[in-house]
Amino acid sequence: MLWKDKYELGVPLIDAQHKELFQRVEAFLQTLRSSSSWEDKVKRVNETLEFMNGYVVEHFRAEEAYQKKIGYPGYELHKKIHTDMVNYVLQVSAEYERMGCNEQLMQQFAGKLLAWLINHVAAEDQHIAAFAIEKGVAGNDR
Amino acid sequence: MTADLHASFLEATQTVFQLMLDLSDIHECPAETFFCDDEVDISIGVTGDLTGEIIYRFPRITSLNMVNIMSGMEVDSVDDFVTSAVSEIANIISGNVLTMLAGNNLNCDILPPAMQKPDDTREYAIHTACCVSTSAGDVCLDIRLNPAK
Repeated sequence: MLWKDKYELGVPLIDAQHKELFQRVEAFLQTLRSSSSWEDKVKRVNETLEFMNGYVVEHFRAEEAYQKKIGYPGYELHKKIHTDMVNYVLQVSAEYERMGCNEQLMQQFAGKLLAWLINHVAAEDQHIAAFAIEKGVAGNDR
Repeated sequence: MTADLHASFLEATQTVFQLMLDLSDIHECPAETFFCDDEVDISIGVTGDLTGEIIYRFPRITSLNMVNIMSGMEVDSVDDFVTSAVSEIANIISGNVLTMLAGNNLNCDILPPAMQKPDDTREYAIHTACCVSTSAGDVCLDIRLNPAK
């Protein structure tokens, strides 16, 4: 299982979105890495990619709103990391469409996405939780 | 400066491996003991106050173990998925080192990871290797940098 309890921030809304994101990425990887032919996998891969494009933006917005609400000092830097990732996902999606659903591109995308997501949630996002706990506003997600 | 850079790369590698791979048994080992003829070489170019490149030398078995730990899946061959995931880890370690260097008034940037062997025709004022041994395998960072003039 991709998700680990140590990734929890203690902010219910953000934790729920992270879990959803990890589940989707895990399903995406399982489909992509299965031994089926690319023709058999491509429909599910496309559906997941479409979902990710929307959900990643929605999650980043929610997380940024929470950071702003608690006065997180690393807000601007964190927002830039999110923006860079959204741009990367959009760039890959456009390239994927242009190349007519290229499997090699998707394998490369999946590898980067896996490592990026784990590092982002296990390291970058933990700074937000540490700040919220220090300021006594942890769990303040409403 | 070489000792400081070496220490920064070692610390960043240990931190990233602990957080991302749950590895706690990370030990530095002498560069002379690192030997591998079947490896994934990832180059990260460096620009700014320091210029050059860092070559991350991941033995094939280390690359596969790292991806298996991250994905929870059994991956048994080095393909585009594996090299991309390993490249991102090299990118993350390098990014962490950049943050440490910025704290010492050394402002650098990094280029996107590329799969390539080092350019042995160039000479570097700072040329050192940082090798670590873990339960997932060994890794060697070949650090090749020049201070900007």
